[in-house]
Amino acid sequence: MPRALRPLSPDLQIYRPQLTSVMSITHRATGVALSAGALLLVWWLASAAAGPDAYARLHALLATDLGLTAMLVWTFALFYHLCNGIRHLFWDAGRGFGLRTIYASGWTVFGTSIALTAIAWILSSKV
Amino acid sequence: MPAATSPRPALDWLKHLLEETVTLIRSSEQQPRVTLLRRFPVPRNFALPGNARIQHGRTWRAPPGAKRVKRFEIYRYDPDSGENPRIDTFEVDVGSCGPMVLDVLIKIKSEIDSTLTFRRSCREGICGSCAMNIDGSNWLACTRTIAGTAEPSTIYPLNHLPIIKDLVPDLTHLYAQYALIEPWLKTRGPVPERERLQSPAEADRLNGKDGKGPAACILCFCCTAGCPSHWWNGQRFLGPAALLQAWRWLADTRDEAAGERLDALEDPFRLYRCHTILNCTRTCPKGLNPGQAIGAIKQKIAQRRS
Repeated sequence: MPRALRPLSPDLQIYRPQLTSVMSITHRATGVALSAGALLLVWWLASAAAGPDAYARLHALLATDLGLTAMLVWTFALFYHLCNGIRHLFWDAGRGFGLRTIYASGWTVFGTSIALTAIAWILSSKV
Repeated sequence: MPAATSPRPALDWLKHLLEETVTLIRSSEQQPRVTLLRRFPVPRNFALPGNARIQHGRTWRAPPGAKRVKRFEIYRYDPDSGENPRIDTFEVDVGSCGPMVLDVLIKIKSEIDSTLTFRRSCREGICGSCAMNIDGSNWLACTRTIAGTAEPSTIYPLNHLPIIKDLVPDLTHLYAQYALIEPWLKTRGPVPERERLQSPAEADRLNGKDGKGPAACILCFCCTAGCPSHWWNGQRFLGPAALLQAWRWLADTRDEAAGERLDALEDPFRLYRCHTILNCTRTCPKGLNPGQAIGAIKQKIAQRRS
């Protein structure tokens, strides 16, 4: 039988989600989210430059539940991408490839980015 | 933990979470016992070509009088039938069976359905023939205990490969990628009168002090078949198995072709499609570290440039 006619075995559909692959796809997803967040940052700066009315309009939008949720996600995305980026730097330097180290650093990144997100929100809510 | 009687349940819960995490890290070298999801939340036939979409197969009931029945959901494909692949469920009396997943497959083939097709040879984890996807990650059927599998246990062939029959994938492309890294000793100087000697330390670079160096690879392709980068770009990305072997020859002090080997690897796809996902290191049934080897190749190229 020609090889093209053979069925392809399933991959993503059945492969078990593991810390390794889940953290990798999260790194990519947070990177995409941050790009969108950068546009919002530009919008925010532009509205601040455009005057108090424009600034107030954007602020009203961001103060909605949806706006706050989006900003919470973006905060987490920022800290996750930062922490996991540091983890990637260690790998690029040839360190931290032991399986246990991979898992320890992975959970550390998850924990640290959640903690930093919480700290950022607690601090900013007091301003 | 008596969380209910504690005055600070939130603290206890945090402590519990921490303990669970430590257990997860400690057990990372073993087969995963707990995961939040058994598979990614996508439809079962998501993005599969029409002829690869999996259908429901038949159930083979356990014989009456079976003592310890365990279910195995196994990927089946019969090239002669013209039908799509299917999942058959086998109820196996594991009370009258050897301890390993390979024993189950052999029992099914000899007692239940003789058409079940799979590769096997050494039955002791050194030939690499019986590599397959067991409960969602790749391992050798002969070194995976039945007791360590889920209920029902799912058995698929290695991922993202053309299937010849049932659990037998066509590995031609993967062998071609292995051939591309030219896995043989290359020398320039005159042939010596006797063997090319290595010090124990130099040999350790290949075999590993713990026996888990790149030379211990059995080419079962569990890692390459479990690599998402290789799923999406397998035509051009060499994959962890071939790259681990590329490192095996780069690390060999007797080899004199490091420069041309690196030239062949320095490519946006062949080497650099590795995004350090590290599914390879997670799944290697021999405990080797393809991820580390790829990192070492990248470093060698970076050092050569500076």
